[in-house]
Order: sequence, then C-alpha cells, then structure tokens
Amino acid sequence: MSALILISILGVLMLYAGLMAPRKVLAPLGIIGLLAALFLLRSGWNVNTEFFGHMVQFDGFGLVFSEALILLTVLLFVFGVDYYARLHENVAEQYALMLFSLVGAIMLTSYQHLLILFLGIEILSIPLYILAGGKRDSFRSGEAAFKYFVQGSFASGFFLLGIALLYGSCASFDLAVIQAYASAPIPGTEMLFLLGLFFTIAGLSFKVAAVPFHFWSPDVYEGSPTLVTAFMSTVVKTAAFAAFYRLIQYMDLPKALDMMLVVMTWLTLFLGNIVALRQSQFKRLMAYSGIAHTGFLLLAFLGRDPLTPSVLFFYTVTYSIATVGLFVVLTLAKRAAKGDENIRIFKGLFRSSPWLAIVTMLLLLSLAGIPLTAGFVAKYRVFLIGIESGFLKTTAFAVLMALVGIYYYVIVIREAFTPRDKGPQLVVSPLNWLVISFCGIAVMLLGLFPGLLHL
Amino acid sequence: MIVAILLLIPFLAATFMVVATPTRQARVVALASTLMTLVFTGWLCFAYQGDPVIAVDSDWVPAWGLRLVMGYDGIGLLMILLTALVFPFIIGAGFGERLQHPSLVNALLLYTQAFLLGVFTAQNALLFYIFYELALLPVFFLLLYWGGERRRGITVRFFMYTLLGGLSLLFGILYCMVQEGGFNGDFSALAALDLPLDTQIWLFWVLFLAFAIKLPIFPFHGWQPDTYSMAPVQGTMVLAAVMLKMGLYGILRLVFPIVPEGAAYWQNTVIILSLIGAIYGGVIAFRQWDLKRLIAYSSLSHVGLLCAGLFAWNGYAVTGSLYQAFAHAIMVVGLLYLTGALRERVGSTEMGAMGGLKARTPRLAALFLLVMVNAIALPFTQGFIGEWLMFAGIWQLNGWMAFGAVTTIVLGAIYMLYAYQRVMLGEDKWQLEMDDATLRDHLVLVPLIAVTFILGVYPAPILNLINGPVQQLITAIPMLP
Repeated sequence: MSALILISILGVLMLYAGLMAPRKVLAPLGIIGLLAALFLLRSGWNVNTEFFGHMVQFDGFGLVFSEALILLTVLLFVFGVDYYARLHENVAEQYALMLFSLVGAIMLTSYQHLLILFLGIEILSIPLYILAGGKRDSFRSGEAAFKYFVQGSFASGFFLLGIALLYGSCASFDLAVIQAYASAPIPGTEMLFLLGLFFTIAGLSFKVAAVPFHFWSPDVYEGSPTLVTAFMSTVVKTAAFAAFYRLIQYMDLPKALDMMLVVMTWLTLFLGNIVALRQSQFKRLMAYSGIAHTGFLLLAFLGRDPLTPSVLFFYTVTYSIATVGLFVVLTLAKRAAKGDENIRIFKGLFRSSPWLAIVTMLLLLSLAGIPLTAGFVAKYRVFLIGIESGFLKTTAFAVLMALVGIYYYVIVIREAFTPRDKGPQLVVSPLNWLVISFCGIAVMLLGLFPGLLHL
Repeated sequence: MIVAILLLIPFLAATFMVVATPTRQARVVALASTLMTLVFTGWLCFAYQGDPVIAVDSDWVPAWGLRLVMGYDGIGLLMILLTALVFPFIIGAGFGERLQHPSLVNALLLYTQAFLLGVFTAQNALLFYIFYELALLPVFFLLLYWGGERRRGITVRFFMYTLLGGLSLLFGILYCMVQEGGFNGDFSALAALDLPLDTQIWLFWVLFLAFAIKLPIFPFHGWQPDTYSMAPVQGTMVLAAVMLKMGLYGILRLVFPIVPEGAAYWQNTVIILSLIGAIYGGVIAFRQWDLKRLIAYSSLSHVGLLCAGLFAWNGYAVTGSLYQAFAHAIMVVGLLYLTGALRERVGSTEMGAMGGLKARTPRLAALFLLVMVNAIALPFTQGFIGEWLMFAGIWQLNGWMAFGAVTTIVLGAIYMLYAYQRVMLGEDKWQLEMDDATLRDHLVLVPLIAVTFILGVYPAPILNLINGPVQQLITAIPMLP
C-alpha cells in the first residue's frame, strides 16, 4: 500500500520537477522513486495485508506482479532518457502520466473488490489516452488517442454494466462473495449473474486485446509514440491479465462463459497469428503478435490449474522483456531509416551492428518460443497446462498457431541476417545499449534457468 | 560428467571462436576441436561395456518436469561416433571454401555438433526435443547467410517444415508427460506408458511426423532438394550426413517404445511410403543435371530405404538400417566433398559444364569412383553390408517389399554410374585447365574411403556395438499384432 502511495506522490512530484528542475533529473528521479517503491513492496513480502475493509489485498499474487510491473516501468524509463531527449517540452508530463498509469496497474493486480477493479482500469487507461496522443503534431498519434479513448470508454461502459448486474445478483462487489455465489447461485438470478459476468469479462478482454475485442490494438500501437506502445504492450497487458485472472481464479464459471472463453481462445489464436502474417509494418506486426500471445495466455486460463498463476507470471514477464527490447531496437532502426517502420529497416543489421542483431534475434526467438530462450519455457508450460486440464484440441490448435507465429518472427530475423547490402549504421546510446543487452541476456538466462522467476 | 565433456569440447571451441574471431586459424582451431571430440569418442567406445550408461541425472526445474538426464547405449554411441567421425571432414572441407567470416562458419558448425551430440545423449524426451530444435538453429543461419542465390525463401521453408515436425513432436511429448502423471519425460518413464490403442493410432503420427520430415520420407520431403542444393557444401554435409540420422534415432527412441501398437498399426503404410520415396528419389536423381541436386535425391532414396528397414522391425533390418546410416554418412560427405572440389575447378556443379575430366584429373576421377562404389553398395564396402542386412530383414516381412527395396539399389547404380559417366568420361568438351587432386583432397577422401573398405570387410566392431541394444529393443517391443 505504501508503495502505491509513494508512486502516486512520485507522479505529482514529477510534474513539479518538470516545472522547476532541469530535464536531466526527471528519469533518475522516477527510477529512484520506483526502486524505493519496490523496496517498500519487498518489505511487505509474505505479509498478506488488506486495506480499505477488504477492498485491496496485497497477497503473493499481487505483490509479485506489482514488482514485475515496477521493474518493467524502470526499464522503460531508462529507455525514456534517450527517447525523450529530442522532445522539447512536456517530458515530465509523459513520465508522470506513466507513473499514474502504473498506479492503476498495481491496483489491478491486488484488488479484492470490483470497484477497485474499475478504479484501477480507469486510472490505468485515462493517462494512456493522453499518452497515446503524445506526439501532438502527428496525425496518426491523434488518431490512436481518439480511437483508444472511444473504444476504451465503450469497454468501460460494458464493464460498469457488468458489475452493476453482478451487484444485482450477488448484492456485493466483494470478490469472495461473488465467488461464493458462483458456486451456489440463488435460483432465478442466474441469468443476471451470467450477463453481469459476461460484460465484466468483455470489458477485461478489451484490455488484454482478445478477439473480438481487439480492434483498437493495431491502430493504437501503430499510432502511439513507440515508448507508449511499449508501455501498453507490456505493463498494461501484464496488469490486465493479472486482473482478469484474479477475477476468475477461484470462480466456477457458468458453462456458457467457459464455452465463451474457449471460443475466444480459438479466435484470438487464429486471428492474431494469421493476420500477423500479412503485416509489413513492424509495430502492427507486434500488435498482432501481441494478440496472438493473448491467445496463448488465455489457453493457460482455461484450466485454472493451481499452476496457472505462475505460468501467467512467467509468460507475461518474459513476453514483456522481449517486447521492450524489440521496441528499443525498433526506435533505433526507425531513426536510422528516417521514420520508416517497415520490417525492411532491419535489413543488414547483422553486418552493421552484430550485437544488436544477435540480441534482436534472441528476443524474436523468445517470442517465437524456440528452445533455450525464456519464451520456450513459457510456451511449453502453457501447452502442458492446456493438455493437463483436458483441452487437447485447443492445445493442438495453439501448437499449430505457434508454428504460424514462428514464421513472421523468422521473417524479421531473415531481414536482419541478410547479407550483401550493409544496413544503415544505428546510433546506440549507452543507456539504450544497456536496456537492449539486459533484455537479451534476461531472455537467455530465464530460458536456461527458468527457476529464477517463479511465483 | 563424461557426456558433459563430450558436449563441452565443441561448444567451448565454438564460443571461443565467436568471441575471439580468429580469421586465419579458425579452421585449424575447429579441426583440432573436432579431432579431440573424435579421440574422446573413440575412448568412450573402447570403454563401453555393453550396458546403457547414464552419466548425468539431475533436476533442472523439478516442479515443471524439466530434467537433465544424459547417457548413451550402443545405438546412441553409434550415432555419437558417426557425428564425431564425420565432423573433422566437414571442417576439413571448409579449407577449400572461400566463405565470409570463416570463424563464424566454423563456430556454427561446432555448435551444430555440440547440439547433435546432445540429441544423441539425451535420455529425457524434453531434453531431446530442446537439442533437436537447437541443432536446427546454427544450420538455419548457415543457410541464411552463406547459402546460394535463392536461399531467402528456401531457408524459411526448410525452417518451417522442420518446426512443423518439431512442434508436433513437442505436443506429443507433452501429451505423454501428462499421461505419465509425474511430468517425467525420461525415456524409461515414457517407455513404461501403456496407452490405449486408439490413442496410439493418432499419437503415432504426432510423434512420427517430426522424424518423417527430418529424414525426410515421401511425401514430407518438400523442403529437402532445394535446401540441399542451396546450402553451402558444409551445410549440406551436416544436413545429409548427421542431421537426418536424428530422424532414425528419434524413431528408435521415441516412436517405437512409446507407441508400439500404433507403430504396428501403421507399419505397412510407413514402409510403403518409404519405398515409394526411395524409388521416386532414385528415378528423379537419374534426371538431374546438377550434382548437388543429384546427391539430394539420392539421399532421399537412401533414406527411404533406411526408414523401411527400421520399420521392418526385425534384427536384420534394424541392424542393417543403423549400419547403413553410418555408411551413408561417410559416403555423402565424400560425394559432397567431391562436388565442392569439382566446383572449385569447373566453377559450377552442373554436370553439363563437366565431362571428360578424367583425362585432366585422373587421381580425382579415381577417388570419385572409390567413393561411389560405396554409394552403389558394391561388395566389400560398408554400403553392401548395410543394404544386404536390410534386404534380408525386409524379405522376412514381405517379399514384394524386398523387391521394391532391391529396385532402389539398381536405380542407385544407374544414376551414380550415369553421373560418373557425364562428369569424368567422354570427350573433354570444355578443355579447362585444372589441377589434379591436391594433398588436401587426398587427406579428406582417403581416410573416408579407408573407413568404407575396412568396415566393409570387417564390420564386427560396429555390429557388436549395436547388436545388444537392438536385440533388447526388438524383444522388448514385439511389433506384430
């Protein structure tokens, strides 16, 4: 809880620092503050604490996700130093908005009450609507912000309707009460409950970009500034998944909703992977690959195995690390290519900067799920859980779609390693180099010693 | 520990090469490393007592069913020996190639060797899978960076084909691990599974698909000819000599023990497909104008026979199949080396650009002929022993199938001799100035030919190695329903 307060204060502090202090101190300030928050979280380790009359509960699940979210934000802030160096004004606002969004994300990992869940979603989203429109002179950035805002509000509406209906059937917003109701529904109100849960899940599916609630993601990813895209596809996605799982973890879902989750998994896997095949813009490719990964994560949801939380954690974190690294590389390559985002810009990367190319390869292989990278362990465990919980056909389909996924990652690798024409020389600042190397090494280490990261 | 050393020699040498990037000495370092591996393997073979050895047995991440179990038995040792024996020649072949970044090429080759040795020593299905996929990666980059003109599309096709099999295998392994109950993927644990017949019938293809593509048998061979002809010579050597043996080995380790009834159910289908592929490959090889493509199709033909032999599942056929796998590795490295040597002299691997070379390079022609007699399985060569054993085994199963198998050897003789005729005999059409076989050519080819003939006359060392485990397998898994 103290971490949550600290980060909120940090955001306000950041706004003031933007007015008074030189720009150089902003990112270090944010990073130090976040590390302090991490320390505070650590001190609350293994202490299952509740706040606000059982509305927020910092249990192991919430804490470990919160830590991961804070660390990812730190990583993005380190990247931000170079990224925002060219921006002339409003840098502090960008950091502050990200911090506010992080507050919402942390609330999402530890809520015990649907109102907190709703507050978390809104606190998470509203700064993002602004951040997506961060490039004020860019038409696409404005488009992204507007689309995200309209569709996001729509999803929030759904979600509110859902929890209202849930309240109607259970007379409580408390997660424990709702779970108890799900196991023994009061006759006559099942339909209300079903609809309520349906709308709630629909609202959350929007945040994790599961088909058919994914339409915002490619456009928003493409239009937003790259750093924000990276934030959305890592921190936001991880938090949304934690929230999603927290909701259904101990709940006996009605048959129809179980069915709906299965159908959503199939659709998400299919659409994400197949449409990604046709993408030539790297950010759109990452958006669809993100949808595809949502599909794999949903597969881990289906069984609600005791191991699912740890799989979820491992998967989202490794996915996020790889994604952050790739977006940093994209930023550098995009600069060298004068704003082009086609995957062509990676051409000849191996000849111009071998280390970057090797890390890019590792990160892409991790996303593809090739052995000895973290992504393999993550996928392997998702498949194992899928089979173990009896979703044999769905898992087989997921395996097939994983193969399709490998194709579009390999195409990018192929660009980077195609020789003969030397690619443009990328300018890598030391901090960016650090972020990229960290991501590459982390992906390898977690692949070799997956036990390092467990719940 | 022993196994760890075996893997670490090439792995560390490769890593050294990536870090230090010696340009001039790269090939020498690589050669030294492969020779060390060979000597070490030789010692392993001498020390082998006939019982399976489990050298490493520890947990990796116990809660997730990841375990490190490594060891070998006679069959594994044969494959290790094959890998260790062939790689010095593959590296040696690189002395003639003028590729960019020689240190990287050799590093990739050594990584491949390390991972292949991993495949042949893994005693846990998941570990096997990991090495199986890893071995693919260096070859992928070798093709992508150093391959021929049309490599971009072909490399990706090759990668996707292989991974289609790989992921199918992963699914199968995971399914078995869940059925097993304790998430334990050790070969011994999986072999103890007793799955119902209807599961085995579909699970057979899930597991077998990976190896069917890797080998490849008909109709899963779509990636093979293009990949073989586009890859740099050393890459093709790795693919044809060692990587496809992973397929045979995998079938023995994962398919027969886990789904014996499924294998029995599909036995005839697989044998017939293999033989169709073997005959088809032979006929197409006859029509090829490019030496590398000819070798690719001849390899398809040979592999079909190997797979048919394996599925005949009796002592003769399985022993013959393994023995022939060894022979094929030696032979294909020799043939590909000759292709490289000819391209160096003629500038192309098209047979139309050759002809009558014997007059100018009599020694090379003689070496070519000596390598070739193994390919067409003349008596006193390794190939003869392997193929004869296989025919004997397949004959026990079905006379018609044996007839199909014999057809392939006739076809083999036809296309090989026809190729020799077009390359070496006839009139000297092009009047090219070229050197005869150099010292390097002799250093590579003479030992290969020597191995061929020594083991062709005295096959006992290899047969003794594999006899015990093969008999054990066959008695433990009675195939015929």
